Order: sequence, then structure tokens, then C-alpha cells
Amino acid sequence: MSKFSTLEKYVSPKGQYELLPFRFEPLVEDNVVATNYVGEFVFLKRKQLNDFVQKKLDPSDETYSLLRAKHFLKESSDLASIELLGLKTRTKFSNLRNFTNLHIFVVSLRCDHSCPYCQVSRQSENKAAFDMSTATADKALQIVFRSPNPAIKIEFQGGEPLLNFDLIRHVVTKAKQINEVEKRNLEFVIATTLSLITDDILDFCKEHKIFLSSSLDGPEDLHNRNRPRPGKDSYARFVEGLQKARDKVGYQSVSALMTTTTASLTRARDIIDEYLKHDFDGIFLRHLSPYGFAIKTKTYGAYNVDHWLEFYCEGLDYILDLNKQGVYFTEYFASLLLTKMLTSKDPGFVDLMSPAGAGIAAVVFNYDGDVYASDESRMLLEMGDDTFKLGNLHTNSYEDIFTSEALLSALDDSFTMSAPMCSDCAFEPWCGAEPVFHHAIFGDVLGRKPESEFCKRIMGVIRYLLNKMQTDPEAKEIFMRWANKC
Amino acid sequence: MYQLPMKLEIDEQIYCIEVVQKASYRFIDRLTILISKSAGKLTCEIEPVIGAEAQFDENVANFKRELLDQQLRKQIKDETESARNLILSYAFSRSGLQK
Repeated sequence: MSKFSTLEKYVSPKGQYELLPFRFEPLVEDNVVATNYVGEFVFLKRKQLNDFVQKKLDPSDETYSLLRAKHFLKESSDLASIELLGLKTRTKFSNLRNFTNLHIFVVSLRCDHSCPYCQVSRQSENKAAFDMSTATADKALQIVFRSPNPAIKIEFQGGEPLLNFDLIRHVVTKAKQINEVEKRNLEFVIATTLSLITDDILDFCKEHKIFLSSSLDGPEDLHNRNRPRPGKDSYARFVEGLQKARDKVGYQSVSALMTTTTASLTRARDIIDEYLKHDFDGIFLRHLSPYGFAIKTKTYGAYNVDHWLEFYCEGLDYILDLNKQGVYFTEYFASLLLTKMLTSKDPGFVDLMSPAGAGIAAVVFNYDGDVYASDESRMLLEMGDDTFKLGNLHTNSYEDIFTSEALLSALDDSFTMSAPMCSDCAFEPWCGAEPVFHHAIFGDVLGRKPESEFCKRIMGVIRYLLNKMQTDPEAKEIFMRWANKC
Repeated sequence: MYQLPMKLEIDEQIYCIEVVQKASYRFIDRLTILISKSAGKLTCEIEPVIGAEAQFDENVANFKRELLDQQLRKQIKDETESARNLILSYAFSRSGLQK
């Protein structure tokens, strides 16, 4: 008699499995994608999906093993499946308990640029009217260190924040003093066009390890067209500032962001080539936000989500070709989504969070002391809408601000697990609530998802990524690399 | 030819009202669908939204397919309800939030 049972003894009896929670969406032809409770996914054919749900899937089928391994089904002997899914759910939402990480200080609304799509900038010389005061900044710092998060990021925004650099010096110095006791992982970022950068400023940035987040919209003609300033030299100033900053502060201390305008739509390759020319290792192909001056100047309505998706997919195709030729270059929006799709990590990107990241992942201290749930919330104010104002630093406490009805109801009402259509959508684990966007467009934080440009944009990008992963093994490898970047 | 609104009768034994409502919601940008109920039948009165008239037939055909998908989604959701609750209870088991 053999000491071992035959292989057949270990094969599961047909039809003896239970379904675990999952959702599905049709893809092209007869393909569907199914996602489990935490967003792990499998591709199935229609027939396989139906057989699976009707308990007709054969245990010898390769798909059966895959569905069992990824917790789409469990056999009676699989005692750990539910516990493992619970553990993965806890991991997926573990960022929530850390609460707010990103604290944005709007140190001045003044700016030397007059970009037509900019939401907030002012051309005023009146410092007192549009600059944050030391007293306001000190109050903001008190709120910053009430956050329980072990990692705190302070980002200085504008207008052009360098126009109030004395205040930046003050905040950095004081925050570091406080941190001698607090011992948080403290980071500083200045969002600047680099047009007003000086050696003094760069010395300070080097001393305090301040990261510079800049703007590059594309080749010189496009950049200068998008970003007008006196002298029409925005691009030249960026290039000079970039070189100086890299030399003084460090090569990796400067990044750049672009904004897509109508003029950008036909120039995806030119824009990417411009980033390569300046030796950046990636690009964020950003859409335009429907707030503030972008709506007032009709810049936002100038192209719709279909136009943007065409631009985005052309850009991503080109980036994939570059990577296949050995040029390591990342598209950051895809990278954020892929991190959610292919790993257990949540990159904590505010647009792709549910519950929404407003307030609980990022908070904005405006120059006048008003506190907003997100950068977009303060931009809404430019349209006369203060729905997402959470309070004021001079009159409200930490408790008032973070338990304000404006914040809690927005988080509660926009939660995607209970939102119409989202709750059944297979892409929900990778998507976000975006209450501020939906409020701006529809007047309520949920909006109608089938009509939502946010929904179309995210679904469009996800479908592109899934299609590539299903049909192009080399692209899938590149995506895996982007998702698992340290 | 058909008159607008187009009437689509649905057997409630096959598709429940929740399924029809969810399928209708997914087409809210393309079709206006009014649902009524009588004697075991659900009736959908369907019209195109302004600007989507040319794709009306295609959209109605896709709406019928969506009914099947929604029915399947409901079957999965009903069958996995207890598992969903159990997963969440594990996820929150150390949060101190349980009664």
C-alpha cells in the first residue's frame, strides 16, 4: 500500500464551492474583468463568468485555480479565505487611521504669471491683501501638529509662493523647531514656476531639504502660450531655474507638472519629448480642473473628456514605446492607478480615495486663515462657493475644523461603496469619490455617475490599462515596474 | 417602427425592480426610462435623451444586455452577503468600534 494518496484525491469535487464577493464589468468583445473585494482582478470570458456563478466551473480548469487563489471562490476546506480577505481589507484602508498627511499653506495669491486656466492667482502688488501673515501661519502650524500622522508634508502654494518667501522661511524654521519634540517624518515642498528663484532661496532649500515642484507645459511655444508673464519668458526662466536648482539643491530635488489645455491636445509626443530633453524620468499627463478661472475664462469647457482621453492614450502609447526601447520613463497617473490595481499599497492620491481624501488626507490653509477640505475646495471659492470651507484658523479649533458638517457630510455622502453605480462597479476599488468635483459640476457630492466626466475619465484610463495588460505582455511588465516603484 | 416612448415589458419573475432600476441608472446619460409596475409585469417607457436620438436602437439593445448583467450582479451580491459581512467584521476586529 502506498504511503501517499493519489492525485485525484486532492481534486475538488465539481460544483462544491461558494462564491466570495466580487464585481465584474464587460470589456471588449466577450471579455469581462472581475475584481474581488480588495481590487485583485482576473480576466474571464463571458461563458467562464456564467459557468463560475452557476457553479459549473470545472476544478481542473486553470481559471478555477486562479479564482480560488485570488479569493473569488472558496471550497468548504478553505478556512482562511475570509480571514485573508479581512486582513487585506484592513491593509487597504490602513492609511485612514493615520489621518491628514498633506498640509497646504497658500502663502500668497500674488503671481507674476497670468495663466488663463489658473484658479486663484492675482496680479496685485498689494501684499497685505493677498499674503498669509505670520500670525496665521503660526495658527496653521498648531493644527498641522495635531494630526496623528507620523509623516507630515507641508506644501507651499500660491499664486507664486516665492513672492512671500520670508513666510516660508518662518514656517520651515518653526516647524522644524516644533518637530524636535514631535519627531515626525517632516517634508517640505514649494510649488513654484521657478521664475523668481534666487541663489538665496536655493541655499535655504538645500539647507532644509525642501523639494521644488515646478511646472512645464511642453515645448517653449506651448509653455509660453499657456503661461503668459511680462517679458513672455516663462519657459526661459523655467529652464534657467531648473538648472540652478538641480546644481544647488540636488538633481532629484525638482519635479515638474503639466496642465493640458486645448493647445496641448495635438502635441502629446512633443510634450513628452520636452520632458525627456530636460532629463525628467516621468510625466503626469494632467487634465484641466473645472474650477475658478478655468471656468470663468471658458478654458475648462474647451475640450471634453473624450478629447483628453485621446490625448492621454496617444501619450501613453508613446511612453510605452519609449520604455520598450529601453528608455525608463513613467506616466504618473497610470502609475498611481496601477499601484492600486497591482499591489496592496494605496498611494494616497486624493482624487483616487474613498472615503474621499478631502480633509482627512489633505487640508488647505488659505492666505486669509480660512481652512478648506482640498486644493479644489478653495478654488471653488473663486466661483463664490464656500461649501467646503471647514472653518478659520483664527476662530475655530482643530476639533471644530475636522468635525465640521461640511467635511463629515461630504465624506459620508460621497462614499463609493454605497454610491449608485459605484457600489456595483468592478473599478470601484481603484477609483475615488471626488465630492468636490461632483459638487462643482452637479451641485451635489455624488453627481450622476453615467454623466460624470470624472467617472468617464477614470473608466477610460482603466479600460486602456486593462486592455494593454491583457494583450501586450511587455506593456504588463512595464506596468508592474511602475506599480512597484520604491 | 415604434412610437415614443417605446414600451418594454419585463417579467418580474425574471428581473426584479432593483435590477431594472440599476440598469436604467447606468443609461441615464443616454436614455430616459420611466418604470411602472402592474400585475407581475414591469413596464419601461423608454425615450432617448436629447442628442442621443441617432443611437436609440443601439442603446435599447445595450440596455437589454445590461439587464442580464445586473441580474447576475444581484445573484452574486445576494449569495455573498454573509461573506461580505464577515470580511468587514474581520477587517474591523481590532478597531475597537464594535458594539
